[in-house]
Amino acid sequence: MGPVELLHMSVFSQSFSPCGRFLAAGNNYGEIAVFSLSAALSPDASQASQKPILNFTAHDGPVFSLLSTDTHLLSAGNGEISAWSWAELIKKSTKAAWTRKPSYETSLEIPEINAMIINPKDNSLIVGGGDNNIHIMDMETGIFKSVLKGHTDYIHCLCFKEREEEILSGGEDGAVRIWGHTEIPLSHFQTCSGMASQECARPQFGKWISCLATDSDWMLCGGGPSLSLWHLRSMSPTSVFPLPGCQREAVFYQDLIMSVGEGPHVSHCLHGGTVKAQIPCTPSSLNTLALNLKNTEHRVMTVGGSSHQIDVFTNFSYKAFSLSF
Amino acid sequence: MSSDAVKKRKPKVIRNEEGTPETKRGRAEGEQDVLVYHEEVELEGRDPQQDYLLYKDTCAALAKLMAEIQELKSSGAKVGSVEMEERRRQCSVHFITLKKLNRLAHMRLKKGRDQTHEAKQRVDVLHLQLQNLLYEVMHLQKEINKCLEFKSQHEEIELVSEEEFFQEAPAEISRPHVTRDDHHQLTLARLDWELEQRKRLAEQYKMSLARKEKIHKAIEQKREYLSSLQPGLQNIMQASLPVQECLSMPFEQMQKQAEVARHLPPPLYVLLVQAAAYGQACDKTLSASISGDVDEAKALSRPPEDSQDDESDSDAEEEQQNTKRRRATVGVQLDDKRKEMLRRHPLSLCVDLKCKDGSVLHLFFYYLMNLNILTVKTKVSTTTDLSGAVSAGELLNSESLLNCLYASDHGQETPNPTNRYQFDKVGITTFADYVSDLGHPYVWVQKLGGLQFSSDSELMGSALSASHMERTMKLLQGRLQARLALHKQFSSLEHSIIPVSGECQHLFPAKVVSGLTRWTMMSYQEFTELGFVQHVLKAGLLRETDLFFMAVVERGTARLLAAVVVNPRYPEVMPLFSLSLHWKGERSGRTEDNLRAMESEVNVFRAELQGPRPGFQLLTNQIQRLCVCLDVYLEMESQVCDGSEGPKEFPREKMCLRTARGPSRLKPFKYNHPQGFFSHR
Repeated sequence: MGPVELLHMSVFSQSFSPCGRFLAAGNNYGEIAVFSLSAALSPDASQASQKPILNFTAHDGPVFSLLSTDTHLLSAGNGEISAWSWAELIKKSTKAAWTRKPSYETSLEIPEINAMIINPKDNSLIVGGGDNNIHIMDMETGIFKSVLKGHTDYIHCLCFKEREEEILSGGEDGAVRIWGHTEIPLSHFQTCSGMASQECARPQFGKWISCLATDSDWMLCGGGPSLSLWHLRSMSPTSVFPLPGCQREAVFYQDLIMSVGEGPHVSHCLHGGTVKAQIPCTPSSLNTLALNLKNTEHRVMTVGGSSHQIDVFTNFSYKAFSLSF
Repeated sequence: MSSDAVKKRKPKVIRNEEGTPETKRGRAEGEQDVLVYHEEVELEGRDPQQDYLLYKDTCAALAKLMAEIQELKSSGAKVGSVEMEERRRQCSVHFITLKKLNRLAHMRLKKGRDQTHEAKQRVDVLHLQLQNLLYEVMHLQKEINKCLEFKSQHEEIELVSEEEFFQEAPAEISRPHVTRDDHHQLTLARLDWELEQRKRLAEQYKMSLARKEKIHKAIEQKREYLSSLQPGLQNIMQASLPVQECLSMPFEQMQKQAEVARHLPPPLYVLLVQAAAYGQACDKTLSASISGDVDEAKALSRPPEDSQDDESDSDAEEEQQNTKRRRATVGVQLDDKRKEMLRRHPLSLCVDLKCKDGSVLHLFFYYLMNLNILTVKTKVSTTTDLSGAVSAGELLNSESLLNCLYASDHGQETPNPTNRYQFDKVGITTFADYVSDLGHPYVWVQKLGGLQFSSDSELMGSALSASHMERTMKLLQGRLQARLALHKQFSSLEHSIIPVSGECQHLFPAKVVSGLTRWTMMSYQEFTELGFVQHVLKAGLLRETDLFFMAVVERGTARLLAAVVVNPRYPEVMPLFSLSLHWKGERSGRTEDNLRAMESEVNVFRAELQGPRPGFQLLTNQIQRLCVCLDVYLEMESQVCDGSEGPKEFPREKMCLRTARGPSRLKPFKYNHPQGFFSHR
C-alpha cells in the first residue's frame, strides 16, 4: 500500500473477536486487517502496536460488512460471504474456512452485501445487499434457506429483534420493513413519502435509510432523513435528533444513543432527542462504530470511516489513539 | 752580640767563673786574638736551669743584703761603715752577677732565634723544591694524558675487517708474520692496503666518468635526430586528416581528446572514460567532449613545491604592497577566500544526449577543486520551437530540470560532508546560494565521477561510475522526453484541449461533455494556502521541489477545481489531484464521499491510466478521466434528489446498472470498454 492508496482508503466495517482482544476491520480495497487490542492498550504500546498484526486481501471488492460468531469471523465481499476461523487468524493464517454465495438473479453485475446479522435461535445468517433481497442461510449446512423480497432498492442495513425473532431492514428506497417468520413482511413503513409531514424527513438529502438499531420496543433509524427514535408498536417517531449529516450507524448504549455518519465526530444523544456531545475524530466522515462489550478489560469504542486510521476511544468522551492500516 | 761582648770587655772584670773550659777555649781561639773573649762559647756550657737557680739565689742574697743594710741603717749605723761597705760591695757583686745573667739570657734568646731562622730557611727551600717537583709531575701527567688521548686520523678511516684484510691483501702488504703479533704493524698494514684499494678505485671511477660522457654525447646526437623527424610526422598527420574523415575513424580527434584528457582532474576523467565507453557500447547518440583552458590546467598540475613557493613569494610581495598602500578590508579578504574555495577546474566536460525526436540534452560537468565535488549544468536544445505554453515555463528550466532524478536528490547542498568544515572557515552558510552559478552537485553526478561520500556501497572510482552510468543515462533521457511531452501537452491544455492519444481512447466514453477551461501553474506558497489540499500536505506527499497546477473543469453551472501536484520524477510518480466542486454550494473530497471516490478514481489506478510505455500520457489521461467522472457525478446527482427542484440541469446520458451502491452510496465511476457502461469498483 503506497501513501496514495492509504490516502484514499476507507474503512467500512469492524468486528471484535469473541474474546474481545482483537479487532478486525475491512476496507474498500477488499483487505481485512486484524489488530491486537491488548497490545495497543498495554502501557508500553508503541507505534508498531498500532499497526495490524495481520493484513490480507480477503475479497476483490470492498468489505462492507464483518460479523463475529463465537468461533469465526464472517466477511462480506462482492456477492460472497467468507468465514475465517478466529483462532487461525490470530495465528496469522489467512485460509478461509468456507465461502458461500447467495443465488442472485442477475448476472451482469454482482451485487454487494451491505449488512449481515445472526439469528442465534435457529443459527442462521441473514444478509442483505445490492439485489434488493434478504437472504437467509443456515450456518450449519451452508444452504440458503429463504429469500425475503420486498424492497424496491438495495438494502443498506439490517437488525434483529431478539424477543420476537423479527428482522428489520432499511433500504435505499426509504422503507423500513419488519419481517417475521414468513417471507412476507409483517409491516413496513416509509419514513418519508406517505408521511410527508414527518419531522424527520430531509428531502434535500434524500429518503434512504442507512442505519437501523433496535432495543426491544424502540427503533432508531436514520440516513437521508434525520436520525429518529421510533416507538415500534405505535409506529411513530418519538424524538428526532438534530444532527447535521446523514448517519450511517447508530447503537444503543446504556442510556445513550451513539451515532456516526457524515462529519468528523461521534454524536452522543439522549433518548429525549438532545445531542449531548459530539466527540471529534480523525476521519472526515465515519462509516462504522463498534463497541467491545465482551471483554471488560478492553472495553473500547472504535470508529472508522474515510481514512486509513481507526480511532479508539477508551473513555467514550474523547479519542485515545488511532490504529492505522 | 759578639761585638757587644767585645766592647764590653772590661779589663777590670776578669771573671773567673765556673766555666774554666770556656776560658781555655777562649784562649785557644785567642791565639789569633788573645784579648777576644767569647762569651757565646761560655754560653754553650752553661745550663739555663742552673742559671735560673743562680738568678734566684742572687736575688735572694741581694734581698737579704738589702735587708741587712736596711737593718743597719735603721739601727743607726753610719753610712760608710765597714759592714755596710762590705755589704754594698757584695750587693754590687750580686748586681754584676745579675747583669751577666741578663746578658746571658739575651744571648741565649738571640741564639735560639738564629737557629730557628736558619731552620726555617732550610724548610722553605725544601718546600719550594717540593712545589717545583709537584708542578713538574703534574705537567708531565698532563702531557702523558694528552698523548694517550691522541686520536690519530687513521682511526677515522674505515678499514675492512681483519679477517677480510688477511684474506684479500697480498702478502707484501699484510705481512702476517709480523702483523699478527704486533698491533701497531697490523694497523699500518691495513692502512697501506686501504690506500692501495682507494687508488685503484679512483682509477676505475675516472674511467667510468669518461665512458659516461661518451654515452651522453651519443644520446644527444640521437635526440637531435628524432626531433628533426617531428615536423615530418606532423605533415603526415595533417595530410591524413581528410583520409580519416573519409573513413570516419577520428583517430586524430580521439588522440587530441586523450591528450587533453590527461590534464583532467580524476573524477572528470573517470566520467569521461565511462561515458565514452557507454556511448560506444550501448547508446550511439551519446557524445562526450572536453572544453576549457588546457594551459591553465597544465599550470595547475605543475609540481606543488614550485607553485607553492611562487605563491608564497608573490603573497609576501602582495602583502608588502598592500601594507604600503592600504590594507584590504576583512570582507574583501573573506570574499577572496570564498572565491578561492569555490574555484572550478579550468577544464569541463560536455556530454550530449540525443533523443529520438532530435532534441538534445546538453550536460556540462564541472569539478570544484577545493571542495572535491562535481556539479552539473544543463541546457536543452530542441528541434521545434517550444514557446507558447505559459504554464510550462518551469518544465524545462535548467535550474530544476534535473531535480530529483533519483528520489530526494535535490542538488541544493553539497554531498561531501567535509565541505561543512571548509564552509565554516570562510563563512558560507549554505551552498544553495552558489548553486545557480556553479551548477548542481547532485549525488548521481558524484557517483558518475566515481566519488563516494556515503557509506552505502563499497564501490569506488570507475566501478562506481560504471554501475550507475546506464541507469542514470536512461533516467536523463527519460526525464528530457517526459518534460518535452509535458510541454507539448501543456500547450494544448492551455487551449482547453485535452490531448488524448489514440491508444488511450478506449479508456473513455466517446462523448465527454465536461471540458477543461483553465490550466495554470501555481507556486508552492499559493498551493499550500488552498483549503482542500491540506490532507495531502498532512500526509507528507508535497514537497517544495514539486510542480503545482490548477485545472478547472466546467459543465453548465458546475465548476470543479482540481489542484494537481506533479512530482519532478513524472511519470514514475503519479500526479496527485485534489478536488473541490462549486455547484449548489462548495464540496470537497473531505466533505463528500463521491468526490473522494472521484479523487481515488483519478489518483490510484496507475496501471489503467498509464497508457502505452513510457507512460507520458498519464497526466492527460487523468484529466480526461476527471472530466468523465464529473459528467457521471452531475448526471447521477440529479437522480438522487427528488424532483422538487424543477427540470434537471444535467440529463442522464450515461449508461449504468445502478446509480448508488454500498453504504456511502457511491456513483458508478468506472467505465467499461467496449460495452460502454459505467459500474462501481
